[in-house]
Amino acid sequence: MIRLRRGLPALLLAVALAVLALPGVASWLMGGTQGPYPVARLWALALDHAALSLAGVLPAALIGLALGVVVTRPGGRGLRGAADAAAAVAQAVPPVVVVALAVPAFGFGWAPTVLALMLYGIMPVLRATVGALEAVPPETRLAAEAVGLSPGQVLREVELALAWPLVLDGLRVALVLAVATAAVGALAGAATLGTPIVIGLQNQNAVLVLQGAAATASLAFLAEALLLMAVPARE
Amino acid sequence: MIPALVAIAALLLPLPFLGVAPNRLLPGEGVTAIAALGPWVALPVALLALGAWRRLPGWVGAASAGLAALALLGLAGMAAGERLADLAPAARASFGAGFWVAMVGALALVAMRGAWMGVAVAAGAVLLLAGGWLDQLSLVVEGRARAEALRGAVLTHLALAGAALGLALLVAVPLAWAGFRQPRLGAALGAALAGVQVVPAIALFALLIPLLAALLRAVPALRDLGLGAVGWLPAVLATAAYLALPLWRSVSGGLASADPAAVQAAEAMGMTEGRILAEVRLPLALPVFAGGLRVAVVQAIGLVTLGGLVGAGGLGALVFEGLAQFATDLMLLGALPILLLALAADTLARAAETRLGRPA
Repeated sequence: MIRLRRGLPALLLAVALAVLALPGVASWLMGGTQGPYPVARLWALALDHAALSLAGVLPAALIGLALGVVVTRPGGRGLRGAADAAAAVAQAVPPVVVVALAVPAFGFGWAPTVLALMLYGIMPVLRATVGALEAVPPETRLAAEAVGLSPGQVLREVELALAWPLVLDGLRVALVLAVATAAVGALAGAATLGTPIVIGLQNQNAVLVLQGAAATASLAFLAEALLLMAVPARE
Repeated sequence: MIPALVAIAALLLPLPFLGVAPNRLLPGEGVTAIAALGPWVALPVALLALGAWRRLPGWVGAASAGLAALALLGLAGMAAGERLADLAPAARASFGAGFWVAMVGALALVAMRGAWMGVAVAAGAVLLLAGGWLDQLSLVVEGRARAEALRGAVLTHLALAGAALGLALLVAVPLAWAGFRQPRLGAALGAALAGVQVVPAIALFALLIPLLAALLRAVPALRDLGLGAVGWLPAVLATAAYLALPLWRSVSGGLASADPAAVQAAEAMGMTEGRILAEVRLPLALPVFAGGLRVAVVQAIGLVTLGGLVGAGGLGALVFEGLAQFATDLMLLGALPILLLALAADTLARAAETRLGRPA
């Protein structure tokens, strides 16, 4: 079931920020004399930006989910501390530093940013998955085992089915964070909505900076709105 | 033990272990670990395999993995010297992707088998550096050439992070108290501070410059106080804006963590609001607050990096200069100290939290 009302505030914010990113609006606000960024190129950058964010979030989602499932299995509990610590370190190092560390190893382009977004996204997904799986009542699990379901079936048909809404919340947080931070990719040569920001900084053109910032935030809120609408609310 | 397998694969597969370039800006030609180290490649491989062996006690595994990391470093230094021996003085030998993957794998193995061994690894790396084993590596050459700038950048970085943290505390603590007294205000504040997090950090730093410039034009007296639209001011303000959320959350959460029954009992005993705060709420709030403070300190050290974009200096300035020149060693010279500072701050804060009574 699609719930339009849940995502409406974020959607309205996204539209307002998109208007702010329009060349005419931005240059009027900033009183800039230099040329603004044309809409067509902003649009192309937005598509690149979205693709780059997804390229970072999808592996983070898979790794976070897999780790979350493994550390909540009886055999994997010993790894819980190590996984938590690794995810905390990954979150403590800001993406711009990861990009700076990754460029020497992987060169300019998408790879450093994808790596940074991936490391940044694992923790929200891992935390949400572990929290959601631990919130499944033990009686439910015992009942499913008593009916004769195999451990794999219990996981798929009972635990993940119950945990799914909370896991999706974590995925939403990870995606919104990734869209907001993908702008740093511009520093490592990836075409993103951070590109006008970097150009604006280099040429002291505040209009470009505002356009890039507003467009990035708009895309982040759009992602939030879409996921809020697509995901059924927790009852 | 996945990290050991990844590290061994990085050493044995045809990945560039070292890059040898005619000067500091040109991309280097890759040399695989087997070609660069010859038979010596067996040493880190064996140490990694030993470190991953589950039968061994944890400390032996950690020590073995730590020795593998140090062997990688020392052997890379020796191999760099051999490769550069016949080349012009401007030639550089830098770490390649294979080295980095193997190093990250070895350090991850150390962390898994016994994280305290990390201190010994750090000490060993310092000894290798002091003993001149690494002098031929491009990163060390670059670091020696810029030792003065590097030292200044570290101090500036810490000063900026400290200033941002202080400012964020000055704002977040009273706001959290106000929000605690008036929950509706608190909800609005929480939403506003969370909204800041969605603004891309690079954009907030950049946007503060025109905003501050407009403010300084409107109120020229501020200029006399030494404030400028470019420099430390936008860096400190923008970093503080991001730190406000974890601080606000932990203070609010800490204040709310007091059991209402305990507060009512204190009221019934005739305690004033001030005494309840000091004797009931604060002791209960302290551990929660300490957790938020740790997150904020680590984030401050990372976020101040972007100050390099707005003329505030610090280690970020080295990173962005390196990115602009495509000079990878300069990027690392800025980024590695940030990573080490953040990890050191996190470790110290965790230790302090544990002493405070409740591990996070």
